[in-house]
Amino acid sequence: MTVNEIVGELRATRPHASDALRLHVMTIAARPAPRTPTLGERLRGRRRVALLVPAGAALALAAAVVIGVSRSGSPATVSTAAPESAARSAGTTGESLGAPPTAADAATAQKAVPGPAADRAQRYSAALSLQVEDSDALSDATQQALAIARDLGGYVVSVHYATGDEGSSSMTLRVPSANAADAVTRLSSLGTILAQNVQIDDLQESLDSLDRREQQVRARIAALTTAIDRAETAADRARLEEQRAQARAELRDLRASHAATAAEARNATVQLDLRTKQEPGGAVPGSGSRLDRALDKALAVLAWEGIVLLALAIALAPLALVAGGVWATHRARRRREEDRLLAAS
Amino acid sequence: MTLEQPLAVRPPRSLAEAAEAHLDDVLGYLLYLTRDRETAEDLASSTFEKALRQWSRFDPVRGSARTWLLGIARTTALDWFRAESRRRKREESAALPERVEETFAEGLSPALEAALAALSAGEREVLALRVVLELDGDATARVLGISPTAVSTRLSRALKRLEEKVNEG
Repeated sequence: MTVNEIVGELRATRPHASDALRLHVMTIAARPAPRTPTLGERLRGRRRVALLVPAGAALALAAAVVIGVSRSGSPATVSTAAPESAARSAGTTGESLGAPPTAADAATAQKAVPGPAADRAQRYSAALSLQVEDSDALSDATQQALAIARDLGGYVVSVHYATGDEGSSSMTLRVPSANAADAVTRLSSLGTILAQNVQIDDLQESLDSLDRREQQVRARIAALTTAIDRAETAADRARLEEQRAQARAELRDLRASHAATAAEARNATVQLDLRTKQEPGGAVPGSGSRLDRALDKALAVLAWEGIVLLALAIALAPLALVAGGVWATHRARRRREEDRLLAAS
Repeated sequence: MTLEQPLAVRPPRSLAEAAEAHLDDVLGYLLYLTRDRETAEDLASSTFEKALRQWSRFDPVRGSARTWLLGIARTTALDWFRAESRRRKREESAALPERVEETFAEGLSPALEAALAALSAGEREVLALRVVLELDGDATARVLGISPTAVSTRLSRALKRLEEKVNEG
């Protein structure tokens, strides 16, 4: 008997169910179907995992977007009401401030900023270096600095303002010496102080010296005038007049020096440098539109989510490997057992 | 007026429809596995009981109703084999095992009947699926939980042994 004959015979004698069995099975199959399974029951095993992966990704993305949008409000604004940040570092040079200054420090700052003495002529020079949040804050702070100078009766000598990856603004202000300490305090409140330097040079001695020399020259001129009136010869008169002309020229120079020194003492010079924060990558945090900030925040949240997922994957990978191994071993053993069972029957 | 598709093309609307179409296949497979008509009929009933409970999980995209029912029939038969194995072990010392009625199908020649009985259940099941029920390699592989290549190998060996046994007799 050939294989083809065997196959033909097997197919020709294909078994059929008896009427009794058919009736029984049809009775079973005609029963009402069990209740409709819930979504959770229908989504089993790999299907549930396959649905969980995109659902989890969508959830993570939604969380990032929500957090990004909710935390992308207007960037930190510069305080103009109270000289808080000035208080933090008044009198310090090159001190970097990490934490925002508190209102409690304001009074300390007022005391700490030295001012020129009221009863003496002094040259007052201050240099301030401040940091602001972003280009918007830089613009605001620059305008406020100019307003402060004018408000205190001063004026602007020069201004340089530039924006870009790192915005900066540099200005030289002159304010009456009497308002110098107030100016420094108010300007310091425009940002976080990076450096502050105040220098006071006494000019009173120079003025006193000029006054004394002026009196001496005046006395000399008066003496020369008397001598000219009493001169007996024309030659003597000419020599004395020349000496008096020289003394008068000297007096003019002394007066000019006196006026210049007094002017120096009248107005204080404040050099103010402002600059925005610089991120390691060059981007200024919080700058740009709200959309940019929202995207930045959302990306940061996504990055953190990725880090957490990676950490979880690293932590769970050995467990997953063990579980996979156990499952594969169980499956192989079951298959071997089935093969043995079928081979023996 | 719409033309109704044949069941071989479209998935069944109900288990009753699937049972009507595939009961003979399920019974034939179980008969070849167990070599006992009464047992095969019991297991066929159990298979459809299980199928009724699992009907909501049947997914036509993953395979035909026929393949799905044969898969349940195989699980049911394996459970029965395990129970039988345990029962035989328990009864080995007390009494001889029952003689199984070796009837596969009406009209089968005695030589072929005897040759089939000499084969293992594993060999008979691949013959039942591939030869008697004429399932293709992929569907058979799904029912048996092995690769299509392994199905071909098993079928080839089973046919060779069956031929030898028939010609021996």
